[in-house]
Amino acid sequence: MDQGHIRNFCIIAHIDHGKSTLADRILQLTGAVSERDMRSQVLDSMDLERERGITIKAQAVRVHYTAADGETYQLNLIDTPGHVDFSYEVSRSLAACEGALLVVDASQGIEAQTLANTYLAIEGDLEVIPVLNKIDLPAADPELHGRAVADLIGDDPENVLRISAKTGEGIEAVLEAVVERVPPPSGDLSAPARALIFDSVYDQYRGVVAFVRVMDGVFQKGDKLRCMQTGLVVESEEIGVMAPVMTPTGKLAAGETGYLVTGLKNLGDLRVGDTITRVAEPAAEALPGYREVKPMVFCGLFPVDADDYPDLRDALEKLSLNDASLRWEPESSQALGFGFRCGFLGLLHMDIVRERLEREYDLELLATTPNVEYKVTTTMGEILPVRSPTELPPPTNIAMIEEPFVRCTILVPSDGVGAVMKLCQDRRGVFVTMEPIENRQQIVYDMPLAEIVLDFYDQLKSRTRGYASLDYEIVGYRESHLVKLDVLLAGDTVDALSMIVHRDEAYTRGKLLVERLFRTIPRQLFDVPIQAAIGGKILARETVKARRKDVLAKCYGGDISRKRKLLERQKEGKKRMKQVGSVEVPQEAFLSVLKIGDDGNGK
Amino acid sequence: MSPVAHLYLHLPFCSSRCGYCAFVVNVGALGRRDEYLDALLAELEREREAGRIGALQTVYLGGGTPTLMRPRRLAALMDRIRPHLAPGAEVSMEANPESVDGPALAALRRAGVNRLSLGVQSFQPHLLAALDRAATPAQARQLMTCARAAGFEDLSIDLIFGIPGQSAVDLERDLAEVLAAGPDHVSWYELELKPGTALARAGTPAFDEDEGADAYRRIVGGLEDAGYRWYETANFARPGHECRHSLAYWSAADYLGLGVGAVSTVGGERWRNAAALEGYLAALAEGQAPPRSREPLDADDVRRERWMLGLRLERGLPLVWAGPPDRPDALASLSAAGLLRHDADEVALTREGRFVQNAILHELMDYA
Repeated sequence: MDQGHIRNFCIIAHIDHGKSTLADRILQLTGAVSERDMRSQVLDSMDLERERGITIKAQAVRVHYTAADGETYQLNLIDTPGHVDFSYEVSRSLAACEGALLVVDASQGIEAQTLANTYLAIEGDLEVIPVLNKIDLPAADPELHGRAVADLIGDDPENVLRISAKTGEGIEAVLEAVVERVPPPSGDLSAPARALIFDSVYDQYRGVVAFVRVMDGVFQKGDKLRCMQTGLVVESEEIGVMAPVMTPTGKLAAGETGYLVTGLKNLGDLRVGDTITRVAEPAAEALPGYREVKPMVFCGLFPVDADDYPDLRDALEKLSLNDASLRWEPESSQALGFGFRCGFLGLLHMDIVRERLEREYDLELLATTPNVEYKVTTTMGEILPVRSPTELPPPTNIAMIEEPFVRCTILVPSDGVGAVMKLCQDRRGVFVTMEPIENRQQIVYDMPLAEIVLDFYDQLKSRTRGYASLDYEIVGYRESHLVKLDVLLAGDTVDALSMIVHRDEAYTRGKLLVERLFRTIPRQLFDVPIQAAIGGKILARETVKARRKDVLAKCYGGDISRKRKLLERQKEGKKRMKQVGSVEVPQEAFLSVLKIGDDGNGK
Repeated sequence: MSPVAHLYLHLPFCSSRCGYCAFVVNVGALGRRDEYLDALLAELEREREAGRIGALQTVYLGGGTPTLMRPRRLAALMDRIRPHLAPGAEVSMEANPESVDGPALAALRRAGVNRLSLGVQSFQPHLLAALDRAATPAQARQLMTCARAAGFEDLSIDLIFGIPGQSAVDLERDLAEVLAAGPDHVSWYELELKPGTALARAGTPAFDEDEGADAYRRIVGGLEDAGYRWYETANFARPGHECRHSLAYWSAADYLGLGVGAVSTVGGERWRNAAALEGYLAALAEGQAPPRSREPLDADDVRRERWMLGLRLERGLPLVWAGPPDRPDALASLSAAGLLRHDADEVALTREGRFVQNAILHELMDYA
């Protein structure tokens, strides 16, 4: 098909604003999926994605559409991840398109993440087509939100499409707008072939599959290919399009999107954002915008049952097959035994990985408090990366500690401004700007990433009754007065509970931490002092008093078996506890420390 | 199979079910009492024929409300048991204050019952109401007097603490009543909110550990001061008045239980008669064994039960009998913590250890 009849586009939308439903409708209307095969949200293939209503992996689907002008067009819909953790992937998806549908819930309006992605699209010179979805909802306010969306992209409110992906109303108009307004690709067919990798997956039978947008030239099955950033050479064992299942075509030409089967076994070898060219006739320059994805958030994952360690390793290996941004290495803790220190793109990524490990691999895990990567300058002038509190050198050897800062953009209705600003101030935020956007305020703060990774997002939501939305980007490292806060149980430091905190917060955190542990550690046969300390200095202390009564009230001939079984059940319950030195610590105690970020007033 | 020396007879009839009760009882089936007696005697006869009944050191008639069987039936039952009794055998029966009177007690005494366990539970009307107990405190006091008059020299009363609404003052009053009544033996349990009971369903809050501990320690102290020995976790006796039948359980001796829901443990095997009255009556009427479920006990079960039971007793347990603990190292640390005493032959909990017997058990043994 000539490039004039190709349209490459994606959908920008906030979680729950209807991106997946709209994608489903498009597949249905163009006959790519029959009514019978129609599963809701075809593009979100992972169970977890379906359940959480979010998209983790981007994919490209090709459909054919016969427009009002009588011509048949090839439409390539590139799905984009919908969360801040995956913003780099979003930027690569956008780079593969000429246009974007900006889908906004007509009852809720624009959210921070949508805003960020829209700016990305505009910067990337994409044609942005505004769409108000869910106009069938009673709470829909298409006038207000339509005006705001038009303002955002500098368009006429008249041009904002009004649809309901749920009922199917207005979908044709969306496809017509894609055909009319999104420019066709303008690659050079005769130039050396170049393609952008905007996503990749691991397929059990085919190995690593790259999703690509061909910019120039033509790729054929059997071509020897080179990844221009990594230098890796692979062969295109198969080449084709998603329609919406993998359909071999033998070649992909400039302007088209599709997939390449590479034969690689390790997903990490193929980098999203890299440029592919032919070894035989290489392109001179790689496509712009490539960067290496680095994990931002780290935590230790330990099996509750030490016997599950090999299973945890296997599970992490399997997850890594399809998640190149997940990093992990063995770690051992005095308190928790053997486990792994894992690196994630962000909090959602961490949650998803943990949930998949527990759900899909049936593992019970203990996670340490998440932390960021610190840069420590020693008194000898060395600069050390520190990803775990236990890696921190002794205080006397530290000249300076730096931590990553992010610029947070928060959109909130005006009555929530006070609560948001208080929260940001409490979390060491530095105010940058505030300006109104439609009927809301956009508040910008620079904040330590460490403050975000605890439970900032949950707190933001709970303090604004769910109305605030958040986006953030890394703005670099800044020096902070940070200290290592230790927890001692019965006099022994529990390495897994140590955390790096700001000096000004150490006392409050320590006190709260001790209180939480005090509430969750059950009474034992002896007194258990719980202390929080910096170096040798005790900041807070509580004592779990020894048990004073623990007997089975009655035991006669008729219930000896029952009592023995009761003891067996109690024993089963004790198995869920970790023996830390001489103290039995329940999983909830570790979890309660994880939630230390909130102010203790409950959520 | 060797004959047993301890016999339990279950008499399940009750006029109503109490709010805390999870026993096998039959309410509203009083018309079946004659049939039940026949069935029970038939089961006794089967066991006799099987050679399982030896010279009985102890017999225990429990319920239910055994006194609802009335002296006539109980006497008939005792007539069949008497030939098996060893000299000086203990024959205990449970009695509820509202279901028995002086003449009935005298008849039971004549029939050979020589130990009476009175289900008082509390002397405070509002606490009796909380437990759905029908008797009044006055009836309980009256019964004590009648029992003595009828010639019972082994008199025990059952009490409960941790009843919803029970204050420290209520507890002091119960303690004072008990001491004034002067029984030979006292069983004083913390209320267990067993699943399925009316109290558990009502979402009754249990005592927290400290409230329970305060009450428990007060009871132990109060009774000890008055000359009772705290010979088992929840049982107290004047010297020589310990319940020998219960001691057989706590010593993991073999015992035979007859009647609906009754449990027997003989020669490393345990079985339980099914709880349904109809099935029990029908099987025995047809000359069959009652429906039973069986539970074999392996060497580890036996050893862990001996530890579980033996540590309930003040006297402790002989290691040669109980076998080694699963975690022998714990003996030293528990001993250092002042919770137990041990030498090469014997392990016994200290007074402080006895209050946390269950936790100690978990330190020593792996119940798996």
